Amino acid sequence: MTNINPAGVFDTRYEQDMAIDRTPRGKMWKNLAFLALLLAPLVSVSGPLGIGLIGDQYVGLIARIAIFVIAVQGLNILVGYTGQISLGHAAFMAVGAYGSAILARELGFSFWLALPASALLTGAVGLIFGLPSLRVKGFYLAMATLAAQFIIPWALRYPLEDLTGGTRPLNVPAPMIGPFGAYASDTVSDDQPLRFQAGDPYFVDVISVRLAARDGAYPTIELINAHGSAVPAGDIGMTLIKDAAGQVVGLSYVASKAGEYRVAIIPDGSASFRAIVSRSKALSFASSIAMYYLIVPLAVLLMFLARNIIRTRTGRAFISIRDNDLAAELLGINVFAYKLRAFFLSAVYAGMAGCLLAFERNSLSLDMFQLDVSIEMLAMLIIGGAGFPLGAMFGTAFIRVLQEAFIPMIRPGLTEILPALLPFVDRVNIASAINPIVFGGVLIIFLALEPRGIAHRWETLKAAWKIRPYSY
Amino acid sequence: MKKLILLFTLAFIMVAAPGLAQDMPAYPSDLTECEVDLTGETLTLYHFGDLSGTYAFITQPIVSALADGIAYWNGRGGVCGAELQQIYEDTGGNLEAAQSAYDRFTSEHGESLDLLLLYSSSDGELLREQLAEDEIVGLIAAGSIESLYGEDGQTPGWLFATNPLYINQFGSFCEFVAANPEAFPDPVIGHVTWPTAFGLSGTEPAADAYCTGLGVEVLDEPQTFLPTDTDILTQVQNAIDAGATIIYTNTLATGPALIASTLVDLGMEGEIALAGVNWVMDTSVGLLGQRSLGAKGLPSVNGMYGSMPFRWWTEAGEASIQFVTMQHAANQRSPVEQNIAYLVTWGMLDTVVELHIRAVNEAGSLAAVEGAGLRAAIENIDYEALGGLYRFAYPDGMRDTSENRIARMAYANADMSGPATSPADALLIDPGDGSRMFVPIIIPLTGFETVPNLRAGE
Repeated sequence: MTNINPAGVFDTRYEQDMAIDRTPRGKMWKNLAFLALLLAPLVSVSGPLGIGLIGDQYVGLIARIAIFVIAVQGLNILVGYTGQISLGHAAFMAVGAYGSAILARELGFSFWLALPASALLTGAVGLIFGLPSLRVKGFYLAMATLAAQFIIPWALRYPLEDLTGGTRPLNVPAPMIGPFGAYASDTVSDDQPLRFQAGDPYFVDVISVRLAARDGAYPTIELINAHGSAVPAGDIGMTLIKDAAGQVVGLSYVASKAGEYRVAIIPDGSASFRAIVSRSKALSFASSIAMYYLIVPLAVLLMFLARNIIRTRTGRAFISIRDNDLAAELLGINVFAYKLRAFFLSAVYAGMAGCLLAFERNSLSLDMFQLDVSIEMLAMLIIGGAGFPLGAMFGTAFIRVLQEAFIPMIRPGLTEILPALLPFVDRVNIASAINPIVFGGVLIIFLALEPRGIAHRWETLKAAWKIRPYSY
Repeated sequence: MKKLILLFTLAFIMVAAPGLAQDMPAYPSDLTECEVDLTGETLTLYHFGDLSGTYAFITQPIVSALADGIAYWNGRGGVCGAELQQIYEDTGGNLEAAQSAYDRFTSEHGESLDLLLLYSSSDGELLREQLAEDEIVGLIAAGSIESLYGEDGQTPGWLFATNPLYINQFGSFCEFVAANPEAFPDPVIGHVTWPTAFGLSGTEPAADAYCTGLGVEVLDEPQTFLPTDTDILTQVQNAIDAGATIIYTNTLATGPALIASTLVDLGMEGEIALAGVNWVMDTSVGLLGQRSLGAKGLPSVNGMYGSMPFRWWTEAGEASIQFVTMQHAANQRSPVEQNIAYLVTWGMLDTVVELHIRAVNEAGSLAAVEGAGLRAAIENIDYEALGGLYRFAYPDGMRDTSENRIARMAYANADMSGPATSPADALLIDPGDGSRMFVPIIIPLTGFETVPNLRAGE
């Protein structure tokens, strides 16, 4: 859609013509919207300000929307900007999610390294599945990308089972900054267990226990949690420290749960033994509010970058390929190379979304990345408006709010009303049919009335507002 | 005159009421005595799960059973005087929706949400850490190792299953196979199942090793199919080609029925036995299995083996079954709802009531009951739900129940005295549309026995 300036506002320089924010007022509204997003957790029920303006569930809802906005924005680059199609986007998310989880669990990568590394890994996988775009397009390309949706989960389930856990869920540690310097150091022996309090939700305690060196077998060290049970080796945040011979000589644990902890040495029948316990602090993103401040700004940044792509040479090449690939080639654009770039970028976005999903949930399973998720993301893009920078945001927010807020809100009323209107249908069947009926009905009505997506309507309204009081 | 009529009416009701009440079996449980009067308060049951997706065949009657159970209790003055109500959400089997429902429940009902009812292993795995964090006890009519015991299989959480772990059920079936060599000569088990957390939860190396030790070989690679698949000829043929003489499945509703019909299509129904987890032993499977008839003219799932850790509808001598059957009839529930979910939900409701009575007695008031108190109550409980529907006990850090028996699916004969041997002697009823329908029954083959514990490291 053509950019329209308000009446009386003229671009006098090239920079003005190319600016994302055409007017100070437009910039102000965007900044205010971003500020409102940043303030949302603070004014939530369990927010630090204690105002309780919005329910905690909406903080989680916005974070989940933001994650899928990133993924759908990646799809927008491929489908909306470049005119290619992908039915394997959820599988690319799975690569990012499992890639980052494995890097964090097996190689000890922090979230901050795992995020770009898994995004690049996903981009590389996206390149592989983008190769068929050289030869096929349209429905045939859809079928080729559908292969990703089957091959990738299969590979994660079987050949990589040792790393991914196959169909079993995979725990993922919370993102963290630190630990900073040790603030306490104590000695613990087998007859003197050490007790201490831990559990600030943001500045968590990182406990490190190291047994003094000795010949032969080491005794067992245990960290007892607030509920009186030993924190197991497989728990989120627990890392065992082993010597060259593979013997456990210590442990490191991120105590994100409040309460009293106890470090104990279990005597092994030999001489008395000691261990050094050091405690340090780290900034944890385990809480939903902290994770919100990681996800939402990143989503805004990636939206901004995606918006910028179409202002670059690469973006213009994408659009020309979408509009007419033969003409683009005649203009000297390397169509295949640019298609691959689109696949790469799209997969990078999906990888980042997958990584964020993994670290936000702290638990991964292949059920989260099935074909229906790919199709749902495509539906989000179409409803939001493919090819519009804001399309991903509108579509994702629309579907998520519909599913997670609107339908649950009207369900109690419908559950009461519908059995009276449809006495021949079993009450239980009505209750279970409300979700799909309302969801499907709203989608059909919406697509019939606004087939070019919400973003198109938004641009139309914006243009009408700018040129008011004239109608054209 | 009006007063006289009213007096006579009241007198008649007083005389007739005990007689009428005799028709309705007494509540079968031996509930703990209430020490605190909760009159005027409300006890809310929170639950969410798949009511419109893959599990809908099973889960829809859960809502019916809870509605009937709540009406029953409220009609009798509530639980220690407290009125019961249910708040539930249909997640359609979608994990995003499950997370959203959990967030909404904890946000909107955090004060009173101390216990949550779930019925999907995937939901359990998703919420395991969050339940522990929020100190909410979960009762789940499912449960994988990871959801109940964590990634290492050794960390009991806040979720408690109402059935034995699926892997333990598989071990229990291996014991049955090993004990019946005449029925299962040279037994080789091949898994044909769904590729989900639930579907593959019976395929653990520990279970394979246990079965091999009993002389029952288990094929390495499970054959998987999607719940939406309608043609699984390849998967079943692959399992048979690999040497399977028994096909074991962790599926429900359409899953076992599809495998059985595929065996019929292959002409292998007499040679390959079909068995599965407790959810295959359900009315839904017995009804769906009628879409394909075997060589004897009976539905293809006739003769299928499965776990049955509960009492079943056909055990009419049991007080718990008499009671639920009467409730099912009194509430005019359909034959389709006479299934495992309706039955088990009555047991779950009874257990929830018992847990709350114990927790309230301990805490002094309903408001003072917290998740930790309910967890303590559940960890110390040894309770026969509904007086014998199933045993509810979690000793030594257990999070799943430990008793199971093996049963066989069959169809009732005309006089309801046993299983039919052919369509000629089978009981055929008209479901209301003029068609003829076989009546599925479950025949226990063993008594209740302790299942082997096959979790990692056990």
